[in-house]
Amino acid sequence: MDGERYTDVNGKAIALDQRRHASFCTEFTVSSPKVSIGKVMVYTCSVWLLAYAVFFLTDNTAVLSSAIIITLIGMMLYIHLVKVDHESLLVIGSLGVQLSSSYASGRESTSFIEMSKIKDIVINEAVHMHQIIYYLCILLRDPADPSAVSSVVPLFQSSKPKLNCLVKVYKSCQEIISKC
Amino acid sequence: MGPDSAPGPAAPWRKVLWERQSFPDNYVDERFLGELRRNDGVRQYRYWAVVKEAGVVGQQLSCVAIFIALWLYMEQGLLSPEALLWTSLTVGLLGYALYAALRPRLGSNGEPRTPLADLQTAAIFLSFTFGFSPVLKTLTESVSTDTVYAMSALMLLAHLVSFPYAHPSPTGSLSLNAALFASVCLASRLPGALHTFAMLSCALLMFALWPCLLQSIRDNAPGPSAWLCAGVCLGGVGGLGSRWPGGAALLALALLSVTLLCPLLLVKLQRHKDNIQGPWDEAEIHEDLCHIPY
Amino acid sequence: MDQLRKRAARKPAPEADTAASSGPNGRHSICMVSDFFYPNMGGVESHIYQLSQCLIEKGHKVVIATHAYGERKGVRYLTNGLKVYYLPLQVMYNQSTATTCFHSLPLLRCVFVREGITVVHAHSSFSAMAHDALFHAKTMGLNTVFTDHSLFGFADMSSVLTNKLLTVSLCDTNHIVCVSYTSKENTVLRATLNPEIVSVIPNAVDPTDFTPDPSQRQGDRITIVVISRLVYRKGIDLLGGIIPELCLKHPDLHFLIGGEGPKRIVLEEVREKYQLHDRVRLLGALEHRDVRGVLVQGHIFLNTSLTEAFCMAIVEGASCGLQVVSTRVGGIPEVLPEDLISLCEPNVRSLCAGLESVIAGLRSGAYPSPTAIHARVRHLYTWRNVAERTEKVYDRVAGEEVLPLDRRLLRLREHCGPVAGSIFAFLAVVNFLFLLLLQWLFPDQVMDMAVDASGPRGLWGPPKRDTMSAEEAAAPATKAE
Repeated sequence: MDGERYTDVNGKAIALDQRRHASFCTEFTVSSPKVSIGKVMVYTCSVWLLAYAVFFLTDNTAVLSSAIIITLIGMMLYIHLVKVDHESLLVIGSLGVQLSSSYASGRESTSFIEMSKIKDIVINEAVHMHQIIYYLCILLRDPADPSAVSSVVPLFQSSKPKLNCLVKVYKSCQEIISKC
Repeated sequence: MGPDSAPGPAAPWRKVLWERQSFPDNYVDERFLGELRRNDGVRQYRYWAVVKEAGVVGQQLSCVAIFIALWLYMEQGLLSPEALLWTSLTVGLLGYALYAALRPRLGSNGEPRTPLADLQTAAIFLSFTFGFSPVLKTLTESVSTDTVYAMSALMLLAHLVSFPYAHPSPTGSLSLNAALFASVCLASRLPGALHTFAMLSCALLMFALWPCLLQSIRDNAPGPSAWLCAGVCLGGVGGLGSRWPGGAALLALALLSVTLLCPLLLVKLQRHKDNIQGPWDEAEIHEDLCHIPY
Repeated sequence: MDQLRKRAARKPAPEADTAASSGPNGRHSICMVSDFFYPNMGGVESHIYQLSQCLIEKGHKVVIATHAYGERKGVRYLTNGLKVYYLPLQVMYNQSTATTCFHSLPLLRCVFVREGITVVHAHSSFSAMAHDALFHAKTMGLNTVFTDHSLFGFADMSSVLTNKLLTVSLCDTNHIVCVSYTSKENTVLRATLNPEIVSVIPNAVDPTDFTPDPSQRQGDRITIVVISRLVYRKGIDLLGGIIPELCLKHPDLHFLIGGEGPKRIVLEEVREKYQLHDRVRLLGALEHRDVRGVLVQGHIFLNTSLTEAFCMAIVEGASCGLQVVSTRVGGIPEVLPEDLISLCEPNVRSLCAGLESVIAGLRSGAYPSPTAIHARVRHLYTWRNVAERTEKVYDRVAGEEVLPLDRRLLRLREHCGPVAGSIFAFLAVVNFLFLLLLQWLFPDQVMDMAVDASGPRGLWGPPKRDTMSAEEAAAPATKAE
């Protein structure tokens, strides 16, 4: 860890953790802030207040129970499918790149890309919602034509770090890739 | 060259782009907008000429009023259908004679219609109307009277709006159909089948044939046609006034504003017309490009 | 793309240090905004491209913002690192985007902020996106320049409406550029502007693209070349009248017509009626790079436009050494010196007479050689000159203040009438509030500043590529989502 502060494209603080396992093997982990209790409280309270207002008007208790169930299921789905706690990128020279993201519930999804398939790792720009952002991506080699790019795998999709963080990751990746 | 460089005008400014001139790019010469022309070829209207043209609008308005007055008379049993039929026939024949007298002077191109053909058309129309009048009489029985009145009013309005005032002769299909629809609606509220027939033939006379006659009178004798329009207007106001004074007052007001006030406004507002033309306007092609010599 | 790359492959500016002395801030960051850009092809598109290239050569930073064309969306780079933002905005009619005055603000703000834009230069009054960009730029306090490429009338209902909108859009724009003096008069009248803030900077053509080649001409005939879209405004009906008349008089006369459009049927009818299939060739739509190949085959270039702000086609024709015959409309009389062009009234008889006299002149050899004509024309209009003059406009604009909101509202009310002025003043206030909301949601400081890779010393230019730096990494963007 170094002293530099990193944020994502919306200005929220994120942490970048770089571990050098060997000269040819580095792991980067971008961690987003944990779900804040206050935010959860605000959302829950607003849903419940709304439900209570509807109950007050309709005198139907099913509204209250369904509000509770919706909140619980919503929270579970959110931490299981949406909220990413940290994303990591493990680059092993001559072997390949492993991408993994672990969700707030503890679920992890991992994928591995062989080095022979990777053409390059670059920083690119894209229009995302109503913003134009930089992102890091892996260019995959087209098996038919080695000089062409068949598709693009974007990295750190949910944490969306800003350029200074991307540049740091990019430099180390290029160092390893250029060696092999 | 640039907007800020000081001008050193040794040579006069020229309106050309191919020469690098010693003037800044945003230089404004005193000849700026020199080719601007205002109100080029704008027609100057004279008040009474406009009034004369507006008379056509007034007389059509009055025609509708006369029709409504006739219907009121019929509905209240003050006018027998026989009387209306005889009058229509007489007026129709007189009008036809006048039309026939005016027609040769028109110098019509192509085959002129013979009186026999006209008679044939008239006979077909009248017999069909006569045959169908009992059907038309009962056509709107299931519809409430209010709806029928509202519909007729709407249709007569549509007739007035879509009437081709500039050239009434081939009466526009929309305006003619609207007028006939309105007359069918109104006629079906009359007491008997003969009433319906009389009302419909009167409507045909008024909305289909009268505009043709008016057009030919206007073409041949512009002077009397203005008086004719005035006469129709007076007839409309008088006819409506005898059964419905309030309506007549409204009609008179409308006629005054259409024939006298609106032309006055048009002529007065001409002074404010500010039409600008210049070299940037799209050129117009005036020639008839189909007549190229072979 | 090939053509754009080829055109831009000109040498970089000899001294790179001119940039430091070119303006009060040394260097402007310009954002060109228009709905019309490559892959669309036309006068506005090539104007934006060529001007941007020359400005980059002079050391300025230029980015282009346009709307997405089909699959072409996101961020792309053209020659010399010219960055183009293809923003996902809905196209409504004729490649012009729909406008709600507000929905394009978030993306355009993002472009303006991350590129550090100082001057927003919008092009073409037909482009809704250009007007939107002017509106947003003024809200954000950026200097604005607008280039008008077309002429409008005043007579019909639609022009009354568009002229009112133009009045509103230009009333607080810092500077306006027109392509000819006629266009300036037209724009000043349409938008009721002070003529002092309107500069005239003509279009240009690349003389190296349009060189004469007399060997391509066929000696046994006289060929008249017409290259234009086959639409009413280009006077194709007149052309349909000229063809039979002249073809009957001169058996060795041939017509070569390039372009496509709804009026093609008129020419085909004429060809059919007078049995001129072997003498009137319709080439259909032409690629820009094929135009020269067609031009050099002709002796006379004919332009029958009914309205035209500048008309690059006649300059291209003259640059290829052809005798130009044109209608005297719009800005055309200003474009070429009298001895290079025969001006006629826009009717068949006058155009025929003009063409007859040029044909007679050609037969008697009264005209200079194509090479001599090319030598005269090649220096008349160059993009470097256009860029120099535009740069002066930027220098002037950079020194001016952008009206703050209160004075802007007053100006709108004063300038655009009580009704339209009030409506647009209201819209300006709403836009300002929207901007505040966006600044609160996504503050400017949070946004990444874009890496500037353009210019002769930039990362895309020809100079040496030393070690692969981090900034460089951001440049090789190939495709964006």
